[in-house]
Amino acid sequence: MWWKISAVVLLLLVFLFGLLVPLYPGLTHAAPDTVAPGASFVLQIQGYNTFFTRAEAPVRVWLVHEGRHVLASGSVQAVDEVTLEARFEVPATMPVPASSLPLDLVVDDRLHGAMFLPNAVRVQSLSGETVAAADSLWRLAEVRDLHRNEDFRFTHIPINYESIRNLYFHVPMWMVMFVLFLLSMWHSVVHLRTSDAIADARAAGYAEVGLLFGMLGLVTGMLWANYTWGAPWSNDIKQLMTAAALLVYLAYFILRASFDEPEKSARIAAVYNIFAFASLVPLIYIVPRIFSSLHPGGEGNPVFNREDLNVNMRLVFYPAVLGWTLLGLWIARLRIRLSILNEQLMDR
Amino acid sequence: MKFFSRRLFLTIVLFHQLYLPEVRAQGSGDFMRETGKIGVVVGVILLIFLGLILYLVRLDRKLTKLEQQINDQHERTH
Repeated sequence: MWWKISAVVLLLLVFLFGLLVPLYPGLTHAAPDTVAPGASFVLQIQGYNTFFTRAEAPVRVWLVHEGRHVLASGSVQAVDEVTLEARFEVPATMPVPASSLPLDLVVDDRLHGAMFLPNAVRVQSLSGETVAAADSLWRLAEVRDLHRNEDFRFTHIPINYESIRNLYFHVPMWMVMFVLFLLSMWHSVVHLRTSDAIADARAAGYAEVGLLFGMLGLVTGMLWANYTWGAPWSNDIKQLMTAAALLVYLAYFILRASFDEPEKSARIAAVYNIFAFASLVPLIYIVPRIFSSLHPGGEGNPVFNREDLNVNMRLVFYPAVLGWTLLGLWIARLRIRLSILNEQLMDR
Repeated sequence: MKFFSRRLFLTIVLFHQLYLPEVRAQGSGDFMRETGKIGVVVGVILLIFLGLILYLVRLDRKLTKLEQQINDQHERTH
Protein backbone atom coordinates (compact mmCIF):
# COMPACT_ATOMS: atom_id res chain seq x y z
CA MET A 1 0.00 0.00 0.00
CA TRP A 2 2.76 2.46 0.95
CA TRP A 3 4.33 2.18 -2.47
CA LYS A 4 1.06 2.98 -4.22
CA ILE A 5 0.76 6.11 -2.13
CA SER A 6 4.39 6.93 -2.95
CA ALA A 7 3.63 6.55 -6.65
CA VAL A 8 0.79 9.07 -6.41
CA VAL A 9 2.72 11.53 -4.23
CA LEU A 10 5.86 11.34 -6.37
CA LEU A 11 3.97 11.81 -9.63
CA LEU A 12 1.99 14.68 -8.14
CA LEU A 13 5.25 16.41 -7.20
CA VAL A 14 6.69 15.65 -10.63
CA PHE A 15 3.68 17.21 -12.37
CA LEU A 16 3.79 20.26 -10.10
CA PHE A 17 7.51 20.94 -10.25
CA GLY A 18 8.02 19.56 -13.74
CA LEU A 19 5.42 21.91 -15.20
CA LEU A 20 5.67 24.97 -12.97
CA VAL A 21 9.40 25.58 -12.52
CA PRO A 22 10.37 28.12 -15.21
CA LEU A 23 13.22 27.75 -17.68
CA TYR A 24 16.37 29.83 -17.35
CA PRO A 25 16.32 32.92 -19.54
CA GLY A 26 17.80 32.22 -22.95
CA LEU A 27 18.03 33.34 -26.56
CA THR A 28 15.77 32.11 -29.35
CA HIS A 29 17.08 33.89 -32.45
CA ALA A 30 18.99 36.83 -33.79
CA ALA A 31 18.57 38.96 -36.92
CA PRO A 32 20.17 39.52 -39.38
CA ASP A 33 21.45 35.95 -39.56
CA THR A 34 23.92 36.68 -42.38
CA VAL A 35 26.29 39.65 -42.68
CA ALA A 36 29.14 40.59 -45.02
CA PRO A 37 32.77 41.07 -43.94
CA GLY A 38 33.44 44.71 -43.03
CA ALA A 39 29.76 45.35 -42.28
CA SER A 40 28.54 47.53 -39.47
CA PHE A 41 25.17 46.33 -38.26
CA VAL A 42 22.70 46.21 -35.40
CA LEU A 43 21.97 42.69 -34.23
CA GLN A 44 18.45 42.27 -32.92
CA ILE A 45 18.39 39.50 -30.31
CA GLN A 46 15.23 37.75 -29.15
CA GLY A 47 15.19 36.47 -25.59
CA TYR A 48 12.96 33.96 -23.85
CA ASN A 49 12.03 34.43 -20.16
CA THR A 50 14.24 37.52 -20.20
CA PHE A 51 13.81 40.94 -18.60
CA PHE A 52 16.23 42.98 -20.68
CA THR A 53 14.94 46.38 -19.54
CA ARG A 54 15.59 45.39 -15.94
CA ALA A 55 19.14 44.18 -16.55
CA GLU A 56 21.84 46.27 -14.92
CA ALA A 57 24.67 47.56 -17.07
CA PRO A 58 26.93 46.26 -18.28
CA VAL A 59 25.06 43.89 -20.59
CA ARG A 60 27.82 42.36 -22.68
CA VAL A 61 27.28 40.75 -26.08
CA TRP A 62 29.83 38.77 -28.08
CA LEU A 63 29.95 36.88 -31.36
CA VAL A 64 32.34 33.97 -31.10
CA HIS A 65 33.85 31.62 -33.65
CA GLU A 66 34.90 28.26 -32.20
CA GLY A 67 35.48 29.79 -28.79
CA ARG A 68 38.68 31.56 -29.89
CA HIS A 69 37.84 34.37 -32.28
CA VAL A 70 35.72 37.00 -30.61
CA LEU A 71 33.89 40.17 -31.61
CA ALA A 72 32.55 42.34 -28.79
CA SER A 73 29.51 44.56 -29.28
CA GLY A 74 30.14 48.31 -29.22
CA SER A 75 26.84 49.34 -27.68
CA VAL A 76 23.92 47.35 -26.32
CA GLN A 77 20.37 48.59 -25.86
CA ALA A 78 17.25 46.92 -24.51
CA VAL A 79 14.20 47.54 -26.75
CA ASP A 80 11.81 45.64 -24.51
CA GLU A 81 11.90 42.69 -22.10
CA VAL A 82 12.59 40.18 -24.86
CA THR A 83 14.42 42.27 -27.45
CA LEU A 84 18.00 43.45 -27.23
CA GLU A 85 19.91 45.44 -29.85
CA ALA A 86 23.69 45.16 -30.11
CA ARG A 87 25.89 47.07 -32.56
CA PHE A 88 28.76 45.20 -34.20
CA GLU A 89 31.57 46.15 -36.56
CA VAL A 90 32.68 43.10 -38.53
CA PRO A 91 36.35 43.19 -39.65
CA ALA A 92 36.98 43.00 -43.38
CA THR A 93 39.11 39.93 -42.81
CA MET A 94 38.15 36.51 -41.55
CA PRO A 95 40.07 34.96 -38.65
CA VAL A 96 40.63 31.80 -40.71
CA PRO A 97 40.62 31.36 -44.50
CA ALA A 98 36.92 30.85 -45.28
CA SER A 99 34.11 32.21 -47.39
CA SER A 100 31.59 31.64 -44.63
CA LEU A 101 32.07 31.85 -40.89
CA PRO A 102 29.50 30.67 -38.32
CA LEU A 103 29.36 32.68 -35.09
CA ASP A 104 27.87 31.78 -31.73
CA LEU A 105 26.13 34.48 -29.75
CA VAL A 106 26.87 35.09 -26.07
CA VAL A 107 24.92 37.57 -23.94
CA ASP A 108 25.89 38.11 -20.33
CA ASP A 109 24.68 40.25 -17.45
CA ARG A 110 24.20 39.81 -13.74
CA LEU A 111 20.41 39.39 -13.75
CA HIS A 112 20.16 36.70 -16.45
CA GLY A 113 23.56 35.06 -16.25
CA ALA A 114 25.33 33.98 -19.43
CA MET A 115 23.07 33.02 -22.35
CA PHE A 116 24.20 31.23 -25.53
CA LEU A 117 22.79 30.81 -29.02
CA PRO A 118 24.92 28.55 -31.21
CA ASN A 119 25.28 29.48 -34.93
CA ALA A 120 23.33 32.69 -34.47
CA VAL A 121 25.03 34.74 -37.18
CA ARG A 122 27.08 33.87 -40.26
CA VAL A 123 29.68 36.10 -41.88
CA GLN A 124 29.37 35.39 -45.61
CA SER A 125 31.62 36.93 -48.26
CA LEU A 126 29.48 38.51 -50.99
CA SER A 127 31.35 36.91 -53.89
CA GLY A 128 31.38 33.54 -52.17
CA GLU A 129 35.16 33.55 -52.43
CA THR A 130 37.51 32.75 -49.61
CA VAL A 131 38.50 35.84 -47.67
CA ALA A 132 42.13 36.31 -46.70
CA ALA A 133 42.78 35.44 -43.10
CA ALA A 134 44.04 37.94 -40.56
CA ASP A 135 42.85 37.25 -37.08
CA SER A 136 44.34 40.22 -35.16
CA LEU A 137 41.01 42.12 -35.27
CA TRP A 138 39.24 39.00 -34.02
CA ARG A 139 41.39 38.83 -30.91
CA LEU A 140 40.76 42.26 -29.41
CA ALA A 141 37.96 41.01 -27.16
CA GLU A 142 37.69 38.13 -24.78
CA VAL A 143 34.68 36.32 -23.35
CA ARG A 144 35.28 36.27 -19.62
CA ASP A 145 33.80 36.88 -16.18
CA LEU A 146 30.53 35.25 -17.21
CA HIS A 147 27.75 35.31 -14.63
CA ARG A 148 25.95 32.27 -13.39
CA ASN A 149 22.22 32.25 -12.79
CA GLU A 150 21.66 30.41 -9.50
CA ASP A 151 17.84 30.41 -9.50
CA PHE A 152 15.92 27.13 -9.23
CA ARG A 153 15.08 26.71 -12.90
CA PHE A 154 15.38 24.22 -15.75
CA THR A 155 17.92 24.35 -18.56
CA HIS A 156 17.13 26.46 -21.59
CA ILE A 157 18.12 24.52 -24.70
CA PRO A 158 17.58 26.14 -28.12
CA ILE A 159 15.06 24.28 -30.33
CA ASN A 160 13.77 22.33 -27.32
CA TYR A 161 12.71 25.18 -25.05
CA GLU A 162 9.80 24.13 -22.79
CA SER A 163 9.64 20.69 -24.40
CA ILE A 164 12.69 19.81 -22.27
CA ARG A 165 10.05 19.05 -19.61
CA ASN A 166 9.30 15.86 -21.55
CA LEU A 167 12.34 14.53 -19.74
CA TYR A 168 9.96 13.80 -16.85
CA PHE A 169 7.33 12.12 -19.05
CA HIS A 170 8.86 10.58 -22.16
CA VAL A 171 12.18 9.35 -20.77
CA PRO A 172 10.83 7.51 -17.67
CA MET A 173 8.61 5.39 -19.96
CA TRP A 174 11.76 3.51 -21.04
CA MET A 175 12.90 2.99 -17.47
CA VAL A 176 9.48 1.59 -16.54
CA MET A 177 9.52 -0.66 -19.59
CA PHE A 178 12.94 -1.99 -18.68
CA VAL A 179 12.03 -2.70 -15.05
CA LEU A 180 8.81 -4.47 -16.08
CA PHE A 181 10.57 -6.57 -18.74
CA LEU A 182 13.25 -7.46 -16.19
CA LEU A 183 10.60 -8.65 -13.70
CA SER A 184 8.85 -10.51 -16.50
CA MET A 185 12.06 -12.35 -17.37
CA TRP A 186 12.70 -13.15 -13.71
CA HIS A 187 9.26 -14.76 -13.38
CA SER A 188 9.85 -16.72 -16.57
CA VAL A 189 13.00 -18.15 -14.98
CA VAL A 190 10.97 -19.01 -11.87
CA HIS A 191 8.35 -20.68 -14.05
CA LEU A 192 10.95 -22.81 -15.82
CA ARG A 193 12.35 -23.96 -12.48
CA THR A 194 9.06 -24.63 -10.68
CA SER A 195 6.46 -25.00 -13.50
CA ASP A 196 4.31 -22.72 -11.38
CA ALA A 197 1.37 -21.39 -13.43
CA ILE A 198 1.21 -18.26 -11.29
CA ALA A 199 4.83 -17.40 -12.15
CA ASP A 200 3.87 -17.64 -15.81
CA ALA A 201 0.89 -15.33 -15.25
CA ARG A 202 3.23 -12.86 -13.57
CA ALA A 203 5.70 -13.02 -16.46
CA ALA A 204 2.91 -12.36 -18.96
CA GLY A 205 1.42 -9.50 -16.91
CA TYR A 206 4.71 -7.66 -16.47
CA ALA A 207 5.55 -8.11 -20.15
CA GLU A 208 2.14 -6.79 -21.23
CA VAL A 209 2.35 -3.62 -19.15
CA GLY A 210 6.03 -3.25 -20.09
CA LEU A 211 4.98 -3.32 -23.73
CA LEU A 212 2.34 -0.68 -23.01
CA PHE A 213 4.95 1.64 -21.53
CA GLY A 214 7.33 0.90 -24.40
CA MET A 215 4.64 1.90 -26.90
CA LEU A 216 3.91 5.06 -24.92
CA GLY A 217 7.63 5.85 -24.99
CA LEU A 218 7.68 5.36 -28.74
CA VAL A 219 4.63 7.51 -29.58
CA THR A 220 5.56 10.31 -27.16
CA GLY A 221 9.07 10.22 -28.63
CA MET A 222 7.62 10.55 -32.14
CA LEU A 223 5.56 13.57 -31.12
CA TRP A 224 8.56 15.24 -29.48
CA ALA A 225 10.79 14.38 -32.46
CA ASN A 226 8.31 15.96 -34.87
CA TYR A 227 8.79 19.37 -33.30
CA THR A 228 12.51 19.19 -32.50
CA TRP A 229 14.05 16.98 -35.19
CA GLY A 230 11.49 17.97 -37.82
CA ALA A 231 9.90 14.57 -38.44
CA PRO A 232 8.20 11.96 -36.25
CA TRP A 233 10.40 9.19 -37.63
CA SER A 234 13.93 9.83 -38.81
CA ASN A 235 15.32 6.28 -38.64
CA ASP A 236 17.37 7.31 -35.65
CA ILE A 237 19.24 4.31 -34.28
CA LYS A 238 17.38 4.42 -30.97
CA GLN A 239 14.03 4.65 -32.73
CA LEU A 240 14.86 1.65 -34.92
CA MET A 241 16.23 -0.46 -32.06
CA THR A 242 13.32 0.22 -29.73
CA ALA A 243 10.85 -0.55 -32.52
CA ALA A 244 12.69 -3.86 -33.02
CA ALA A 245 12.63 -4.55 -29.27
CA LEU A 246 8.90 -3.88 -29.09
CA LEU A 247 8.30 -6.24 -32.03
CA VAL A 248 10.31 -8.94 -30.22
CA TYR A 249 7.97 -8.57 -27.23
CA LEU A 250 4.88 -8.41 -29.45
CA ALA A 251 5.97 -11.78 -30.81
CA TYR A 252 6.00 -13.09 -27.23
CA PHE A 253 2.24 -12.58 -27.02
CA ILE A 254 1.64 -14.09 -30.44
CA LEU A 255 3.68 -17.10 -29.32
CA ARG A 256 1.65 -17.42 -26.12
CA ALA A 257 -1.59 -17.40 -28.06
CA SER A 258 -0.52 -19.93 -30.65
CA PHE A 259 -0.45 -23.09 -28.54
CA ASP A 260 -3.52 -24.99 -27.38
CA GLU A 261 -1.93 -26.69 -24.40
CA PRO A 262 -1.54 -24.07 -21.69
CA GLU A 263 1.42 -25.78 -20.00
CA LYS A 264 3.41 -26.20 -23.18
CA SER A 265 2.58 -22.63 -24.20
CA ALA A 266 3.77 -21.29 -20.85
CA ARG A 267 7.05 -23.20 -21.06
CA ILE A 268 7.92 -22.15 -24.59
CA ALA A 269 6.87 -18.57 -23.86
CA ALA A 270 9.11 -18.54 -20.78
CA VAL A 271 12.12 -19.68 -22.80
CA TYR A 272 11.34 -17.10 -25.49
CA ASN A 273 10.92 -14.37 -22.87
CA ILE A 274 14.43 -14.97 -21.55
CA PHE A 275 15.80 -14.64 -25.07
CA ALA A 276 13.68 -11.55 -25.66
CA PHE A 277 15.15 -9.88 -22.61
CA ALA A 278 18.64 -10.95 -23.61
CA SER A 279 18.09 -9.24 -26.98
CA LEU A 280 16.64 -6.13 -25.35
CA VAL A 281 19.89 -5.19 -23.64
CA PRO A 282 22.01 -5.00 -26.82
CA LEU A 283 19.13 -3.47 -28.80
CA ILE A 284 18.49 -0.64 -26.38
CA TYR A 285 21.70 -0.20 -24.44
CA ILE A 286 24.58 -1.29 -26.64
CA VAL A 287 23.87 -0.79 -30.36
CA PRO A 288 22.66 2.84 -30.00
CA ARG A 289 25.94 3.70 -28.30
CA ILE A 290 27.94 2.42 -31.25
CA PHE A 291 26.15 4.44 -33.93
CA SER A 292 25.61 8.17 -33.81
CA SER A 293 22.15 9.20 -32.75
CA LEU A 294 19.98 12.28 -32.68
CA HIS A 295 19.24 11.33 -29.10
CA PRO A 296 21.20 13.01 -26.35
CA GLY A 297 23.77 11.09 -24.37
CA GLY A 298 25.71 9.59 -27.26
CA GLU A 299 28.87 10.92 -28.85
CA GLY A 300 28.60 13.54 -31.56
CA ASN A 301 25.67 15.18 -29.89
CA PRO A 302 26.66 18.49 -28.40
CA VAL A 303 23.10 19.61 -27.74
CA PHE A 304 22.50 17.73 -24.53
CA ASN A 305 25.31 16.72 -22.29
CA ARG A 306 25.83 16.07 -18.64
CA GLU A 307 25.74 19.76 -17.81
CA ASP A 308 22.45 20.24 -19.62
CA LEU A 309 20.76 17.89 -17.23
CA ASN A 310 21.46 20.28 -14.41
CA VAL A 311 21.03 19.61 -10.71
CA ASN A 312 17.51 21.08 -10.64
CA MET A 313 16.38 18.82 -13.46
CA ARG A 314 17.85 15.76 -11.78
CA LEU A 315 15.94 16.69 -8.65
CA VAL A 316 12.70 16.22 -10.61
CA PHE A 317 13.90 13.51 -13.01
CA TYR A 318 14.83 10.85 -10.43
CA PRO A 319 11.51 11.09 -8.56
CA ALA A 320 9.80 10.98 -11.97
CA VAL A 321 11.53 7.71 -12.84
CA LEU A 322 10.63 6.24 -9.45
CA GLY A 323 7.04 7.52 -9.55
CA TRP A 324 6.31 6.24 -13.05
CA THR A 325 7.97 2.90 -12.22
CA LEU A 326 5.76 2.44 -9.17
CA LEU A 327 2.70 3.32 -11.26
CA GLY A 328 3.78 0.78 -13.86
CA LEU A 329 4.19 -1.87 -11.17
CA TRP A 330 0.77 -1.02 -9.80
CA ILE A 331 -0.95 -1.43 -13.18
CA ALA A 332 1.02 -4.62 -13.89
CA ARG A 333 -0.03 -6.09 -10.56
CA LEU A 334 -3.67 -5.35 -11.26
CA ARG A 335 -3.30 -7.23 -14.55
CA ILE A 336 -1.56 -10.11 -12.79
CA ARG A 337 -4.16 -10.38 -10.04
CA LEU A 338 -6.80 -10.62 -12.75
CA SER A 339 -4.89 -13.42 -14.52
CA ILE A 340 -4.42 -15.31 -11.28
CA LEU A 341 -8.15 -15.10 -10.49
CA ASN A 342 -8.90 -16.31 -14.00
CA GLU A 343 -6.52 -19.22 -13.49
CA GLN A 344 -8.13 -20.17 -10.19
CA LEU A 345 -11.58 -20.05 -11.75
CA MET A 346 -10.48 -22.39 -14.54
CA ASP A 347 -9.08 -24.87 -12.02
CA ARG A 348 -12.31 -25.15 -10.11
CA MET B 1 -29.62 10.26 -23.30
CA LYS B 2 -28.56 9.40 -26.80
CA PHE B 3 -30.06 12.60 -28.15
CA PHE B 4 -28.32 14.60 -25.49
CA SER B 5 -24.89 13.16 -26.18
CA ARG B 6 -25.36 13.69 -29.91
CA ARG B 7 -26.26 17.32 -29.34
CA LEU B 8 -23.29 17.72 -27.05
CA PHE B 9 -21.06 16.24 -29.71
CA LEU B 10 -22.43 18.62 -32.34
CA THR B 11 -21.98 21.57 -30.02
CA ILE B 12 -18.37 20.66 -29.47
CA VAL B 13 -17.75 20.23 -33.19
CA LEU B 14 -19.43 23.54 -34.01
CA PHE B 15 -17.63 25.31 -31.22
CA HIS B 16 -14.39 23.91 -32.48
CA GLN B 17 -15.02 25.06 -36.04
CA LEU B 18 -16.38 28.46 -35.12
CA TYR B 19 -13.95 29.54 -32.51
CA LEU B 20 -10.70 27.84 -33.27
CA PRO B 21 -9.75 29.90 -36.34
CA GLU B 22 -10.18 33.02 -34.26
CA VAL B 23 -7.88 31.68 -31.59
CA ARG B 24 -5.40 30.69 -34.26
CA ALA B 25 -5.42 34.15 -35.79
CA GLN B 26 -4.52 35.65 -32.44
CA GLY B 27 -1.70 33.24 -31.67
CA SER B 28 1.37 32.73 -33.77
CA GLY B 29 -0.34 29.97 -35.75
CA ASP B 30 0.83 26.61 -34.55
CA PHE B 31 0.26 25.68 -30.92
CA MET B 32 3.04 23.11 -31.11
CA ARG B 33 5.59 25.41 -32.72
CA GLU B 34 4.79 28.53 -30.72
CA THR B 35 7.79 29.98 -28.90
CA GLY B 36 8.45 27.72 -25.98
CA LYS B 37 6.85 24.62 -27.55
CA ILE B 38 4.87 23.94 -24.38
CA GLY B 39 2.23 22.33 -26.63
CA VAL B 40 4.58 19.38 -27.18
CA VAL B 41 4.65 18.74 -23.43
CA VAL B 42 0.85 18.93 -23.29
CA GLY B 43 0.69 16.48 -26.20
CA VAL B 44 3.11 14.02 -24.59
CA ILE B 45 1.23 14.07 -21.28
CA LEU B 46 -2.10 13.58 -23.09
CA LEU B 47 -0.72 10.62 -25.06
CA ILE B 48 0.51 8.94 -21.87
CA PHE B 49 -2.79 9.67 -20.13
CA LEU B 50 -4.84 8.29 -23.03
CA GLY B 51 -2.64 5.20 -23.34
CA LEU B 52 -2.98 4.36 -19.64
CA ILE B 53 -6.74 5.05 -19.65
CA LEU B 54 -7.29 2.82 -22.69
CA TYR B 55 -5.35 0.04 -20.99
CA LEU B 56 -7.39 0.46 -17.80
CA VAL B 57 -10.64 0.34 -19.80
CA ARG B 58 -9.47 -2.94 -21.34
CA LEU B 59 -8.60 -4.26 -17.88
CA ASP B 60 -12.01 -3.16 -16.63
CA ARG B 61 -13.74 -5.15 -19.39
CA LYS B 62 -11.73 -8.27 -18.57
CA LEU B 63 -12.66 -7.90 -14.92
CA THR B 64 -16.36 -7.57 -15.81
CA LYS B 65 -16.13 -10.77 -17.83
CA LEU B 66 -14.52 -12.55 -14.89
CA GLU B 67 -17.23 -11.31 -12.53
CA GLN B 68 -19.89 -12.66 -14.88
CA GLN B 69 -18.16 -16.04 -15.00
CA ILE B 70 -18.01 -16.16 -11.21
CA ASN B 71 -21.68 -15.24 -10.98
CA ASP B 72 -22.64 -17.93 -13.51
CA GLN B 73 -20.68 -20.53 -11.58
CA HIS B 74 -22.26 -19.37 -8.36
CA GLU B 75 -25.76 -19.76 -9.82
CA ARG B 76 -24.96 -23.25 -11.14
CA THR B 77 -23.69 -24.50 -7.79
CA HIS B 78 -26.68 -23.12 -5.84
